[in-house]
Amino acid sequence: MSISASTDAAVAAANTESRRRWQISYRRRRYLLVAPPMLVMIAFVVFGIFADVIAPGDPGQTHLLSRLEAPVFSGGTSEFPLGTDHVGRDIWTRVVHGARVSLIVVAIVVPGAALFGTVIGMFAGWRGGIVGQLLMRYVDVQLALPAILFAVLLGAVLGASLRNVILILLVWTWTVYARLIRAEVLSLKEREFVLASLAAGGSNWWIMRKQLLPNVFNTIVVIMTLEIPIVIVAEASLSFLGVGAPVEQATWGRMITEARNYLTHAWWVMWMPGLALMLVALSGNLVGDWLRDLLDPRLRNLG
Amino acid sequence: MQFANLLVIRLIQTILVIWVVVSIVFVISRLIGNPETSLMPWDATNEDYERIREKLGLNDPMIVQYGRFLGDALQGDLGFSYHRTGPALDIVADKVLGTVKLTAAGLVVALGLGVPLGVFAALRRGSPLDWLARLVAVFGQATPSFWLGLMLIFFLATRVSWFPTAGAEGFRSLVLPAIALGLLSAAGFMRLTRSGMIDVMNTDFIRTARAKGLNERTVILRHGLRHALIPVMTILGIELGRLIAGSVIIEVVFSWPGIGRLMIESILQSDYPTVQAGLVVIAASITLGNLIVDMTYRVIDPRIRMAAL
Repeated sequence: MSISASTDAAVAAANTESRRRWQISYRRRRYLLVAPPMLVMIAFVVFGIFADVIAPGDPGQTHLLSRLEAPVFSGGTSEFPLGTDHVGRDIWTRVVHGARVSLIVVAIVVPGAALFGTVIGMFAGWRGGIVGQLLMRYVDVQLALPAILFAVLLGAVLGASLRNVILILLVWTWTVYARLIRAEVLSLKEREFVLASLAAGGSNWWIMRKQLLPNVFNTIVVIMTLEIPIVIVAEASLSFLGVGAPVEQATWGRMITEARNYLTHAWWVMWMPGLALMLVALSGNLVGDWLRDLLDPRLRNLG
Repeated sequence: MQFANLLVIRLIQTILVIWVVVSIVFVISRLIGNPETSLMPWDATNEDYERIREKLGLNDPMIVQYGRFLGDALQGDLGFSYHRTGPALDIVADKVLGTVKLTAAGLVVALGLGVPLGVFAALRRGSPLDWLARLVAVFGQATPSFWLGLMLIFFLATRVSWFPTAGAEGFRSLVLPAIALGLLSAAGFMRLTRSGMIDVMNTDFIRTARAKGLNERTVILRHGLRHALIPVMTILGIELGRLIAGSVIIEVVFSWPGIGRLMIESILQSDYPTVQAGLVVIAASITLGNLIVDMTYRVIDPRIRMAAL
């Protein structure tokens, strides 16, 4: 009896030991796996910021004598490393400047939506009331409906400009934060440390700032990371449908739309912006997943 | 009795959702936009503008316009299309079948690919198949659907012409749009099925089923999968909504005749009555789809039958 008990204990100890070792290697493996997508995201940011330095040419400059020229690795010249499109614009320059547009949109929309959504979500979770209820019902409706249709409608009515794209995407994405932050606050509100602060006479503002915000902070960071590829793809989708940034601006979505007619005989026109978009979206997703597992495993079923 | 109550509550919710949708569209199109500018030729005079504003009732106060609009909508009258001939609702109704076909095909792809892949991946954890399935899931979840559609066209319709590049003639033209639409949801279903199967295969009742001497097939399909499918059922409603939403851009990519393409065209032409009618139809179908999924879900899993309204 005692022998078997001690063997059991030994087996259990060995099990936890091996599991611990496995976990370490698992974490290390995750670091290795997340390195390439992390590099892609860093490259995306660098390309966006230094677009003028990396590709100093004008992205709208046409070269009518060298239309649909192949990229350098496919028989083209080094003058146009990634080839040219149907009016002879340099695809390399356009892809780099497209990264800038995506970066600007992400840099404004993601923090903006996070701020707005968090404020609304905290308010609705903490005080609630009729206004909170109405706001959350609105959030439900918006999340349940095809946002793309409202976005295109708004885009068509407002007209094509980068400012309007940013505005549309802010309206489109803040609801995700609001719903999740509200849910977190609702559960935090019942926890002892919050009740204790209330009992000690802490003001609403103080509790929100000092106790709720630090506790939902990880969630906010995780959603923001996961939203980066979503916003990039949304911007590209709007441009693809023709209601994104104005025509003179080089965006990946617009480049893809314009290239559709040349699919059969000039594949690179569509593939260059498409690959850039896919690579960034995929990398953003992988980095987001990694960060979520690291910071907040409870959110695993999110997105 | 309770079931009927639930049904009534959800129907009221549906009507509220549609009201909110219609109001949002009204606000966007009438307060921010100018329907008349899109209707007039470039050389129209001020008098022409005045005439059309008078004819469309755009000179009345906003609140009167809104009231008239809601009253008409209640009677099923969503106005006449500005650009096509006929009532907006009829024009939209013509395209419903196209979107239903596409969405259904997308759902078939999503479930038909996601669930079996999830089961296999769970049963052979760590195998090359598991890795492949997870790779597909990661790609499926990260690739923008319009880009996926264009890649499918590029490889399977232009490099080799197995499928047509666009249009809606016959079964073959449905294949590529259905894959482009369904892959994202397939990735989600796969992940859910996989984790569900992994959990369930370690439970006591599976051990019991095996101890009874049932063959492995029955254990997996009748006992394991049935349980693992519950979370899949839960998100089926959400995924259905996503598929309907996703069909918009897929219809544009593949020139598929459905509500989505009609709406995008109408939006770009400022044909607001058609836009309104389309949004009402889409909102109604999403909420009704959710309702149906919810009801079947309650029938299948008695434990949550009345748990939450």
